[in-house]
Amino acid sequence: MRIRETTLVAARELHDAMRSRWFIVAAGCFLALSLGLAMLGLAGAQRSGLAGFDRTTASLLNLALVFVPLVTLSLGGLGIAGELEDGSLALLLAQPITRGEAYAGKYLGLLAAVTASICIGFGATGIIVGVAAGSGNARGFLALVALTLLLGAATLSIGTVLSVALRARARVIGAAFAVWLLLVYVSDLGTIGLTLARNLAPGQVFTLALLNPVQQARVLGTLALTDRLDVLGTVGAFGLDHFGTVGLPVLLAGVLLAATALPFVVGYVLFRRTAIT
Amino acid sequence: MITATDLCLALDGRAVLDHVSFTVAAGESVALVGPNGSGKTSILRCLLGLVPFDGRVTIDGHDVMREPIAARSLLSYVPQKAAFGDAAAHEVLAFVAKLRRLNRSRIPLTLREVGLEGHAEQRVRTFSGGMQQRLSLAVALLADTPVLLLDEPSASLDREGQGHFFEIVARLRKRGHTLLLASHRPEEVESLCDRVLHIDRGRIAAPATPIVRHARVIALGARGERR
Repeated sequence: MRIRETTLVAARELHDAMRSRWFIVAAGCFLALSLGLAMLGLAGAQRSGLAGFDRTTASLLNLALVFVPLVTLSLGGLGIAGELEDGSLALLLAQPITRGEAYAGKYLGLLAAVTASICIGFGATGIIVGVAAGSGNARGFLALVALTLLLGAATLSIGTVLSVALRARARVIGAAFAVWLLLVYVSDLGTIGLTLARNLAPGQVFTLALLNPVQQARVLGTLALTDRLDVLGTVGAFGLDHFGTVGLPVLLAGVLLAATALPFVVGYVLFRRTAIT
Repeated sequence: MITATDLCLALDGRAVLDHVSFTVAAGESVALVGPNGSGKTSILRCLLGLVPFDGRVTIDGHDVMREPIAARSLLSYVPQKAAFGDAAAHEVLAFVAKLRRLNRSRIPLTLREVGLEGHAEQRVRTFSGGMQQRLSLAVALLADTPVLLLDEPSASLDREGQGHFFEIVARLRKRGHTLLLASHRPEEVESLCDRVLHIDRGRIAAPATPIVRHARVIALGARGERR
Protein backbone atom coordinates (compact mmCIF):
# COMPACT_ATOMS: atom_id res chain seq x y z
CA MET A 1 0.00 0.00 0.00
CA ARG A 2 1.42 3.39 -1.01
CA ILE A 3 1.40 6.08 1.69
CA ARG A 4 1.13 9.07 -0.67
CA GLU A 5 -1.97 7.83 -2.50
CA THR A 6 -3.64 6.69 0.74
CA THR A 7 -2.98 10.13 2.27
CA LEU A 8 -4.44 11.87 -0.80
CA VAL A 9 -7.65 9.88 -0.53
CA ALA A 10 -7.76 10.50 3.25
CA ALA A 11 -7.30 14.25 2.76
CA ARG A 12 -10.12 14.33 0.21
CA GLU A 13 -12.38 12.35 2.55
CA LEU A 14 -11.61 14.65 5.49
CA HIS A 15 -12.30 17.69 3.32
CA ASP A 16 -15.63 16.27 2.11
CA ALA A 17 -16.68 15.19 5.64
CA MET A 18 -15.90 18.62 7.10
CA ARG A 19 -18.13 20.17 4.46
CA SER A 20 -21.06 17.83 4.82
CA ARG A 21 -24.07 19.28 6.64
CA TRP A 22 -24.64 16.09 8.53
CA PHE A 23 -21.13 16.16 10.00
CA ILE A 24 -21.34 19.86 10.89
CA VAL A 25 -24.61 19.23 12.75
CA ALA A 26 -23.15 16.22 14.60
CA ALA A 27 -19.96 18.07 15.58
CA GLY A 28 -21.97 21.14 16.63
CA CYS A 29 -24.27 19.00 18.82
CA PHE A 30 -21.26 17.32 20.41
CA LEU A 31 -19.66 20.69 21.17
CA ALA A 32 -22.92 22.12 22.57
CA LEU A 33 -23.60 19.05 24.76
CA SER A 34 -20.00 18.96 26.06
CA LEU A 35 -20.13 22.63 26.97
CA GLY A 36 -23.59 22.22 28.51
CA LEU A 37 -22.40 19.33 30.69
CA ALA A 38 -19.27 21.27 31.68
CA MET A 39 -21.38 24.25 32.74
CA LEU A 40 -23.70 22.03 34.79
CA GLY A 41 -20.66 20.31 36.32
CA LEU A 42 -19.13 23.65 37.23
CA ALA A 43 -22.34 24.89 38.80
CA GLY A 44 -22.48 21.73 40.94
CA ALA A 45 -18.79 22.00 41.80
CA GLN A 46 -19.27 25.48 43.21
CA ARG A 47 -21.93 24.13 45.56
CA SER A 48 -20.17 20.89 46.59
CA GLY A 49 -16.56 22.02 46.33
CA LEU A 50 -15.54 19.11 44.05
CA ALA A 51 -12.72 19.54 41.54
CA GLY A 52 -14.05 20.71 38.18
CA PHE A 53 -12.43 18.09 35.95
CA ASP A 54 -13.63 15.07 37.94
CA ARG A 55 -17.28 15.99 37.71
CA THR A 56 -16.99 17.09 34.08
CA THR A 57 -15.12 13.94 33.08
CA ALA A 58 -17.77 11.74 34.67
CA SER A 59 -20.53 13.58 32.79
CA LEU A 60 -18.63 13.60 29.51
CA LEU A 61 -17.89 9.87 29.76
CA ASN A 62 -21.60 9.11 29.58
CA LEU A 63 -22.09 11.58 26.74
CA ALA A 64 -19.19 10.06 24.78
CA LEU A 65 -20.44 6.49 25.29
CA VAL A 66 -23.82 7.35 23.76
CA PHE A 67 -23.00 10.05 21.24
CA VAL A 68 -19.70 8.95 19.67
CA PRO A 69 -20.91 5.49 18.53
CA LEU A 70 -24.04 7.07 17.04
CA VAL A 71 -22.02 9.53 14.96
CA THR A 72 -19.23 7.17 13.92
CA LEU A 73 -21.46 4.21 13.03
CA SER A 74 -23.52 6.33 10.66
CA LEU A 75 -20.53 8.30 9.33
CA GLY A 76 -18.62 5.08 8.59
CA GLY A 77 -21.78 3.55 7.19
CA LEU A 78 -22.31 6.33 4.69
CA GLY A 79 -18.63 6.47 3.69
CA ILE A 80 -18.57 3.74 1.06
CA ALA A 81 -22.29 3.05 0.53
CA GLY A 82 -22.96 6.70 -0.35
CA GLU A 83 -20.26 6.76 -3.01
CA LEU A 84 -21.30 3.35 -4.34
CA GLU A 85 -24.82 4.64 -4.82
CA ASP A 86 -23.97 7.94 -6.48
CA GLY A 87 -21.24 6.42 -8.69
CA SER A 88 -18.32 8.48 -7.43
CA LEU A 89 -16.57 5.37 -6.08
CA ALA A 90 -16.34 3.97 -9.62
CA LEU A 91 -14.60 7.15 -10.76
CA LEU A 92 -12.19 7.00 -7.83
CA LEU A 93 -11.33 3.35 -8.47
CA ALA A 94 -10.89 4.04 -12.19
CA GLN A 95 -7.80 6.04 -11.17
CA PRO A 96 -4.45 4.29 -10.70
CA ILE A 97 -4.91 3.37 -7.05
CA THR A 98 -5.53 0.02 -5.40
CA ARG A 99 -8.67 -0.90 -3.49
CA GLY A 100 -6.60 -1.11 -0.32
CA GLU A 101 -5.41 2.49 -0.75
CA ALA A 102 -8.95 3.71 -1.44
CA TYR A 103 -10.40 1.78 1.51
CA ALA A 104 -7.71 2.77 4.02
CA GLY A 105 -7.71 6.36 2.77
CA LYS A 106 -11.45 6.69 3.20
CA TYR A 107 -11.35 5.20 6.70
CA LEU A 108 -8.42 7.38 7.80
CA GLY A 109 -10.04 10.51 6.38
CA LEU A 110 -13.25 9.84 8.31
CA LEU A 111 -11.26 9.04 11.44
CA ALA A 112 -9.44 12.36 11.10
CA ALA A 113 -12.81 14.15 10.82
CA VAL A 114 -14.11 12.35 13.93
CA THR A 115 -10.87 13.14 15.78
CA ALA A 116 -11.17 16.82 14.87
CA SER A 117 -14.77 16.91 16.07
CA ILE A 118 -13.95 15.20 19.39
CA CYS A 119 -10.90 17.41 19.98
CA ILE A 120 -12.89 20.59 19.27
CA GLY A 121 -15.76 19.50 21.57
CA PHE A 122 -13.58 18.28 24.43
CA GLY A 123 -10.88 20.91 23.84
CA ALA A 124 -13.30 23.81 24.25
CA THR A 125 -14.79 22.12 27.34
CA GLY A 126 -11.35 21.44 28.83
CA ILE A 127 -10.26 25.05 28.41
CA ILE A 128 -13.44 26.41 30.02
CA VAL A 129 -13.32 24.00 32.95
CA GLY A 130 -9.56 24.51 33.38
CA VAL A 131 -9.93 28.30 33.53
CA ALA A 132 -12.99 28.23 35.79
CA ALA A 133 -12.14 25.42 38.21
CA GLY A 134 -8.39 24.80 37.95
CA SER A 135 -6.57 21.81 36.50
CA GLY A 136 -7.81 19.25 39.12
CA ASN A 137 -7.73 15.74 37.65
CA ALA A 138 -6.71 16.87 34.16
CA ARG A 139 -5.06 13.49 33.52
CA GLY A 140 -8.41 11.77 33.88
CA PHE A 141 -9.89 14.24 31.42
CA LEU A 142 -7.09 13.62 28.88
CA ALA A 143 -7.54 9.86 29.35
CA LEU A 144 -11.21 10.36 28.53
CA VAL A 145 -10.29 12.15 25.29
CA ALA A 146 -7.93 9.32 24.31
CA LEU A 147 -10.52 6.72 25.24
CA THR A 148 -13.21 8.48 23.19
CA LEU A 149 -10.90 8.52 20.18
CA LEU A 150 -10.30 4.78 20.59
CA LEU A 151 -14.03 4.10 20.89
CA GLY A 152 -14.66 6.30 17.84
CA ALA A 153 -12.07 4.36 15.83
CA ALA A 154 -13.68 1.03 16.78
CA THR A 155 -17.27 2.04 16.00
CA LEU A 156 -16.20 3.84 12.80
CA SER A 157 -14.62 0.57 11.75
CA ILE A 158 -17.87 -1.31 12.44
CA GLY A 159 -19.76 1.35 10.46
CA THR A 160 -17.37 0.87 7.53
CA VAL A 161 -18.06 -2.89 7.47
CA LEU A 162 -21.79 -2.18 7.40
CA SER A 163 -21.20 0.22 4.53
CA VAL A 164 -19.33 -2.35 2.42
CA ALA A 165 -21.66 -5.22 3.28
CA LEU A 166 -25.01 -3.47 2.79
CA ARG A 167 -24.07 -1.11 -0.08
CA ALA A 168 -27.16 1.15 0.09
CA ARG A 169 -27.56 4.30 2.22
CA ALA A 170 -31.03 3.44 3.56
CA ARG A 171 -30.05 -0.11 4.57
CA VAL A 172 -26.80 1.08 6.14
CA ILE A 173 -28.44 3.83 8.21
CA GLY A 174 -31.03 1.35 9.50
CA ALA A 175 -28.36 -1.18 10.38
CA ALA A 176 -26.12 1.48 11.98
CA PHE A 177 -28.98 2.56 14.24
CA ALA A 178 -29.73 -1.07 15.16
CA VAL A 179 -26.05 -1.71 16.00
CA TRP A 180 -25.96 1.50 18.05
CA LEU A 181 -28.98 0.36 20.06
CA LEU A 182 -27.39 -3.04 20.51
CA LEU A 183 -24.02 -1.69 21.69
CA VAL A 184 -25.29 1.11 23.90
CA TYR A 185 -28.52 -0.24 25.41
CA VAL A 186 -29.52 -3.77 24.41
CA SER A 187 -26.23 -5.42 25.30
CA ASP A 188 -26.47 -4.08 28.86
CA LEU A 189 -30.00 -5.41 29.22
CA GLY A 190 -28.99 -8.67 27.57
CA THR A 191 -26.08 -9.12 29.95
CA ILE A 192 -28.30 -8.43 32.95
CA GLY A 193 -30.95 -10.83 31.62
CA LEU A 194 -28.42 -13.57 30.91
CA THR A 195 -26.79 -13.09 34.30
CA LEU A 196 -30.12 -13.51 36.05
CA ALA A 197 -31.40 -16.35 33.86
CA ARG A 198 -28.18 -18.35 33.66
CA ASN A 199 -26.56 -17.34 36.91
CA LEU A 200 -23.43 -16.21 35.10
CA ALA A 201 -20.20 -16.07 37.06
CA PRO A 202 -18.36 -12.69 37.20
CA GLY A 203 -15.74 -14.06 34.78
CA GLN A 204 -18.44 -14.82 32.20
CA VAL A 205 -19.95 -11.35 32.60
CA PHE A 206 -16.46 -9.89 32.15
CA THR A 207 -15.97 -11.94 28.95
CA LEU A 208 -19.34 -10.72 27.61
CA ALA A 209 -18.28 -7.12 28.31
CA LEU A 210 -15.09 -7.68 26.31
CA LEU A 211 -17.25 -8.32 23.22
CA ASN A 212 -18.72 -4.81 23.30
CA PRO A 213 -16.45 -1.81 22.63
CA VAL A 214 -18.85 0.53 24.44
CA GLN A 215 -18.60 -1.62 27.58
CA GLN A 216 -14.81 -1.72 27.28
CA ALA A 217 -14.76 2.07 27.01
CA ARG A 218 -17.16 2.41 29.95
CA VAL A 219 -14.90 0.38 32.28
CA LEU A 220 -11.75 2.11 30.96
CA GLY A 221 -13.30 5.54 31.47
CA THR A 222 -14.48 4.70 34.97
CA LEU A 223 -11.00 3.41 35.82
CA ALA A 224 -9.53 6.74 34.68
CA LEU A 225 -11.70 8.45 37.29
CA THR A 226 -11.60 6.05 40.22
CA ASP A 227 -10.63 2.53 41.27
CA ARG A 228 -13.41 2.26 43.85
CA LEU A 229 -14.94 -1.19 43.43
CA ASP A 230 -18.50 -0.04 44.17
CA VAL A 231 -18.28 2.40 41.23
CA LEU A 232 -16.61 -0.05 38.85
CA GLY A 233 -19.34 -2.71 39.17
CA THR A 234 -19.02 -6.46 38.66
CA VAL A 235 -17.07 -6.32 35.42
CA GLY A 236 -14.57 -3.71 36.60
CA ALA A 237 -14.16 -5.32 40.00
CA PHE A 238 -13.50 -8.74 38.44
CA GLY A 239 -11.04 -7.23 35.96
CA LEU A 240 -9.22 -5.27 38.61
CA ASP A 241 -9.00 -8.33 40.82
CA HIS A 242 -7.57 -10.53 38.04
CA PHE A 243 -5.46 -8.13 36.00
CA GLY A 244 -4.57 -5.36 38.45
CA THR A 245 -4.63 -1.58 38.10
CA VAL A 246 -2.10 -1.62 35.25
CA GLY A 247 -3.09 -4.85 33.52
CA LEU A 248 -6.82 -4.09 33.23
CA PRO A 249 -6.48 -0.76 31.36
CA VAL A 250 -3.84 -2.33 29.09
CA LEU A 251 -6.11 -5.32 28.41
CA LEU A 252 -9.15 -3.14 27.71
CA ALA A 253 -7.22 -0.73 25.47
CA GLY A 254 -5.79 -3.75 23.61
CA VAL A 255 -9.26 -5.23 23.12
CA LEU A 256 -10.54 -1.85 21.88
CA LEU A 257 -7.68 -1.74 19.38
CA ALA A 258 -8.56 -5.28 18.29
CA ALA A 259 -12.21 -4.18 17.98
CA THR A 260 -10.96 -1.53 15.56
CA ALA A 261 -8.60 -3.74 13.59
CA LEU A 262 -10.87 -6.76 13.14
CA PRO A 263 -13.84 -4.99 11.49
CA PHE A 264 -11.38 -2.91 9.45
CA VAL A 265 -9.80 -6.06 8.02
CA VAL A 266 -13.17 -7.78 7.49
CA GLY A 267 -14.39 -4.65 5.67
CA TYR A 268 -11.31 -4.64 3.45
CA VAL A 269 -11.72 -8.33 2.56
CA LEU A 270 -15.34 -7.63 1.56
CA PHE A 271 -14.41 -4.43 -0.28
CA ARG A 272 -11.78 -6.23 -2.37
CA ARG A 273 -14.51 -8.49 -3.75
CA THR A 274 -17.21 -5.85 -4.05
CA ALA A 275 -18.57 -5.25 -7.53
CA ILE A 276 -18.53 -1.51 -8.18
CA THR A 277 -21.64 -1.10 -10.30
CA MET B 1 -3.66 -2.18 -26.72
CA ILE B 2 -6.76 -3.76 -25.11
CA THR B 3 -7.10 -7.53 -24.97
CA ALA B 4 -10.11 -9.15 -23.34
CA THR B 5 -10.06 -12.94 -23.22
CA ASP B 6 -12.98 -15.13 -22.24
CA LEU B 7 -14.66 -12.60 -19.96
CA CYS B 8 -17.40 -14.11 -17.83
CA LEU B 9 -19.26 -12.05 -15.27
CA ALA B 10 -22.13 -12.88 -12.94
CA LEU B 11 -23.79 -10.24 -10.76
CA ASP B 12 -26.34 -11.18 -8.09
CA GLY B 13 -26.41 -14.72 -9.46
CA ARG B 14 -27.28 -13.54 -12.99
CA ALA B 15 -24.89 -14.17 -15.88
CA VAL B 16 -24.03 -10.77 -17.36
CA LEU B 17 -21.11 -11.62 -19.64
CA ASP B 18 -20.58 -14.98 -21.28
CA HIS B 19 -17.11 -15.72 -22.71
CA VAL B 20 -16.55 -12.34 -24.31
CA SER B 21 -13.26 -11.95 -26.16
CA PHE B 22 -12.02 -9.07 -28.31
CA THR B 23 -9.00 -6.91 -28.97
CA VAL B 24 -8.61 -3.23 -29.73
CA ALA B 25 -5.40 -2.18 -31.43
CA ALA B 26 -3.46 0.92 -30.42
CA GLY B 27 -4.99 4.02 -32.02
CA GLU B 28 -8.15 2.17 -32.98
CA SER B 29 -11.61 3.46 -32.14
CA VAL B 30 -14.16 0.73 -31.43
CA ALA B 31 -17.85 0.97 -30.51
CA LEU B 32 -19.72 -1.42 -28.25
CA VAL B 33 -23.34 -1.39 -29.33
CA GLY B 34 -26.33 -3.37 -28.18
CA PRO B 35 -29.65 -3.05 -26.42
CA ASN B 36 -30.03 -1.94 -22.79
CA GLY B 37 -28.74 -4.60 -20.40
CA SER B 38 -26.73 -6.36 -23.10
CA GLY B 39 -23.48 -5.99 -21.15
CA LYS B 40 -21.73 -2.96 -22.70
CA THR B 41 -21.18 -1.15 -19.41
CA SER B 42 -20.17 -4.41 -17.72
CA ILE B 43 -17.42 -4.91 -20.30
CA LEU B 44 -16.05 -1.45 -19.52
CA ARG B 45 -16.21 -2.21 -15.78
CA CYS B 46 -14.23 -5.40 -16.35
CA LEU B 47 -11.60 -3.42 -18.26
CA LEU B 48 -11.32 -1.10 -15.24
CA GLY B 49 -11.21 -3.98 -12.76
CA LEU B 50 -14.31 -2.66 -10.99
CA VAL B 51 -16.11 -6.01 -10.96
CA PRO B 52 -14.81 -9.50 -10.12
CA PHE B 53 -14.80 -11.44 -13.40
CA ASP B 54 -13.41 -14.66 -14.81
CA GLY B 55 -11.10 -14.39 -17.80
CA ARG B 56 -8.31 -11.96 -18.49
CA VAL B 57 -8.00 -8.33 -19.48
CA THR B 58 -4.74 -6.65 -20.38
CA ILE B 59 -4.05 -3.02 -21.21
CA ASP B 60 -0.82 -2.73 -23.16
CA GLY B 61 0.22 -6.07 -21.67
CA HIS B 62 -0.66 -5.17 -18.06
CA ASP B 63 -3.20 -7.46 -16.43
CA VAL B 64 -5.91 -5.26 -14.85
CA MET B 65 -6.34 -7.54 -11.85
CA ARG B 66 -2.69 -8.34 -11.18
CA GLU B 67 -1.19 -4.97 -12.12
CA PRO B 68 -4.11 -2.61 -11.51
CA ILE B 69 -2.00 0.51 -11.06
CA ALA B 70 0.03 0.00 -14.24
CA ALA B 71 -3.11 -0.87 -16.22
CA ARG B 72 -5.24 2.01 -14.94
CA SER B 73 -2.41 4.49 -15.45
CA LEU B 74 -3.07 3.95 -19.16
CA LEU B 75 -6.86 4.34 -18.90
CA SER B 76 -9.37 7.12 -18.51
CA TYR B 77 -13.05 6.53 -17.98
CA VAL B 78 -16.03 8.70 -18.80
CA PRO B 79 -19.11 7.04 -17.21
CA GLN B 80 -22.76 7.28 -18.16
CA LYS B 81 -23.53 9.31 -15.08
CA ALA B 82 -20.68 11.17 -13.46
CA ALA B 83 -20.52 11.94 -9.72
CA PHE B 84 -17.72 13.61 -7.82
CA GLY B 85 -18.87 13.95 -4.21
CA ASP B 86 -18.99 17.37 -2.65
CA ALA B 87 -15.95 19.00 -4.24
CA ALA B 88 -15.63 22.03 -6.51
CA ALA B 89 -14.74 21.40 -10.17
CA HIS B 90 -11.12 22.53 -9.83
CA GLU B 91 -10.72 20.40 -6.68
CA VAL B 92 -11.83 17.30 -8.60
CA LEU B 93 -9.21 17.97 -11.25
CA ALA B 94 -6.55 18.86 -8.67
CA PHE B 95 -7.18 15.55 -6.89
CA VAL B 96 -6.81 13.57 -10.12
CA ALA B 97 -3.69 15.58 -11.02
CA LYS B 98 -2.11 14.75 -7.66
CA LEU B 99 -3.04 11.07 -7.89
CA ARG B 100 -1.61 10.78 -11.39
CA ARG B 101 1.34 13.09 -10.66
CA LEU B 102 0.31 15.55 -13.38
CA ASN B 103 1.09 19.21 -13.75
CA ARG B 104 -1.76 21.17 -12.13
CA SER B 105 -1.12 24.23 -14.27
CA ARG B 106 -3.08 22.46 -17.03
CA ILE B 107 -6.32 22.52 -15.03
CA PRO B 108 -7.64 25.94 -16.20
CA LEU B 109 -6.90 25.04 -19.82
CA THR B 110 -8.68 21.69 -19.45
CA LEU B 111 -11.74 23.34 -17.92
CA ARG B 112 -11.79 25.81 -20.82
CA GLU B 113 -11.54 22.94 -23.30
CA VAL B 114 -14.81 21.45 -22.00
CA GLY B 115 -16.54 24.80 -21.54
CA LEU B 116 -16.45 24.90 -17.73
CA GLU B 117 -13.93 27.72 -17.29
CA GLY B 118 -16.46 29.88 -15.43
CA HIS B 119 -17.39 27.10 -13.01
CA ALA B 120 -14.04 26.14 -11.49
CA GLU B 121 -15.04 27.14 -7.96
CA GLN B 122 -18.60 25.82 -8.19
CA ARG B 123 -19.58 22.69 -6.23
CA VAL B 124 -20.07 19.78 -8.62
CA ARG B 125 -23.25 18.75 -6.76
CA THR B 126 -24.89 21.90 -8.12
CA PHE B 127 -23.89 21.07 -11.73
CA SER B 128 -26.47 19.87 -14.26
CA GLY B 129 -26.08 16.34 -15.65
CA GLY B 130 -24.48 17.75 -18.80
CA MET B 131 -21.98 19.83 -16.83
CA GLN B 132 -21.01 16.83 -14.72
CA GLN B 133 -20.51 14.85 -17.91
CA ARG B 134 -18.26 17.58 -19.29
CA LEU B 135 -16.29 17.53 -16.06
CA SER B 136 -15.74 13.79 -16.34
CA LEU B 137 -14.46 14.38 -19.85
CA ALA B 138 -12.17 17.06 -18.39
CA VAL B 139 -10.81 14.46 -15.94
CA ALA B 140 -10.02 12.20 -18.89
CA LEU B 141 -8.46 15.04 -20.90
CA LEU B 142 -6.31 16.11 -17.97
CA ALA B 143 -5.02 12.56 -17.48
CA ASP B 144 -4.28 12.38 -21.24
CA THR B 145 -4.00 8.59 -21.14
CA PRO B 146 -3.47 6.54 -24.30
CA VAL B 147 -6.76 4.65 -23.77
CA LEU B 148 -10.17 6.23 -23.26
CA LEU B 149 -13.24 4.23 -22.16
CA LEU B 150 -16.48 6.08 -22.83
CA ASP B 151 -19.81 4.80 -21.53
CA GLU B 152 -22.65 6.52 -23.38
CA PRO B 153 -20.84 9.75 -22.70
CA SER B 154 -23.19 12.11 -24.48
CA ALA B 155 -26.40 10.72 -22.98
CA SER B 156 -26.98 13.72 -20.71
CA LEU B 157 -25.63 16.39 -23.07
CA ASP B 158 -27.79 18.78 -25.06
CA ARG B 159 -27.35 19.12 -28.81
CA GLU B 160 -24.68 21.80 -28.50
CA GLY B 161 -22.89 19.83 -25.80
CA GLN B 162 -22.96 16.71 -27.98
CA GLY B 163 -21.39 18.60 -30.88
CA HIS B 164 -18.68 19.95 -28.60
CA PHE B 165 -18.11 16.49 -27.15
CA PHE B 166 -17.79 14.93 -30.65
CA GLU B 167 -15.18 17.54 -31.55
CA ILE B 168 -13.09 16.80 -28.49
CA VAL B 169 -13.24 13.03 -28.89
CA ALA B 170 -12.56 13.29 -32.63
CA ARG B 171 -9.47 15.34 -31.77
CA LEU B 172 -8.29 12.69 -29.33
CA ARG B 173 -8.82 10.06 -31.99
CA LYS B 174 -6.73 12.01 -34.48
CA ARG B 175 -3.98 12.29 -31.87
CA GLY B 176 -3.81 8.50 -31.82
CA HIS B 177 -5.69 7.71 -28.58
CA THR B 178 -7.34 4.31 -28.40
CA LEU B 179 -11.10 4.63 -27.86
CA LEU B 180 -13.68 2.12 -26.69
CA LEU B 181 -17.13 3.64 -26.76
CA ALA B 182 -20.37 2.10 -25.49
CA SER B 183 -23.24 3.80 -27.24
CA HIS B 184 -26.85 3.66 -28.42
CA ARG B 185 -26.49 6.54 -30.84
CA PRO B 186 -25.79 5.67 -34.47
CA GLU B 187 -24.51 9.17 -35.27
CA GLU B 188 -22.04 8.98 -32.37
CA VAL B 189 -20.76 5.56 -33.44
CA GLU B 190 -20.59 6.60 -37.06
CA SER B 191 -18.65 9.79 -36.46
CA LEU B 192 -16.23 8.51 -33.83
CA CYS B 193 -15.53 4.82 -34.46
CA ASP B 194 -13.73 2.60 -36.99
CA ARG B 195 -15.27 -0.68 -35.94
CA VAL B 196 -18.29 -2.02 -34.07
CA LEU B 197 -18.69 -4.90 -31.62
CA HIS B 198 -22.32 -5.87 -31.30
CA ILE B 199 -23.17 -7.15 -27.81
CA ASP B 200 -26.34 -9.07 -27.11
CA ARG B 201 -27.24 -10.81 -23.86
CA GLY B 202 -23.67 -10.76 -22.65
CA ARG B 203 -22.11 -12.16 -25.81
CA ILE B 204 -20.43 -10.81 -28.89
CA ALA B 205 -23.39 -11.19 -31.23
CA ALA B 206 -21.58 -10.78 -34.52
CA PRO B 207 -17.99 -10.50 -35.71
CA ALA B 208 -16.57 -7.00 -35.55
CA THR B 209 -17.92 -5.01 -38.46
CA PRO B 210 -16.62 -1.93 -40.17
CA ILE B 211 -18.52 1.15 -39.20
CA VAL B 212 -20.54 2.01 -42.33
CA ARG B 213 -22.22 -1.36 -42.55
CA HIS B 214 -23.03 -1.49 -38.89
CA ALA B 215 -24.40 2.02 -38.68
CA ARG B 216 -27.09 0.94 -41.12
CA VAL B 217 -27.88 -2.10 -38.96
CA ILE B 218 -28.36 0.12 -35.91
CA ALA B 219 -30.58 2.47 -37.87
CA LEU B 220 -32.71 -0.43 -39.05
CA GLY B 221 -32.90 -1.75 -35.47
CA ALA B 222 -34.08 1.63 -34.25
CA ARG B 223 -36.81 1.75 -36.92
CA GLY B 224 -37.83 -1.77 -35.99
CA GLU B 225 -38.20 -0.75 -32.32
CA ARG B 226 -40.48 2.16 -33.28
CA ARG B 227 -42.83 -0.18 -35.12
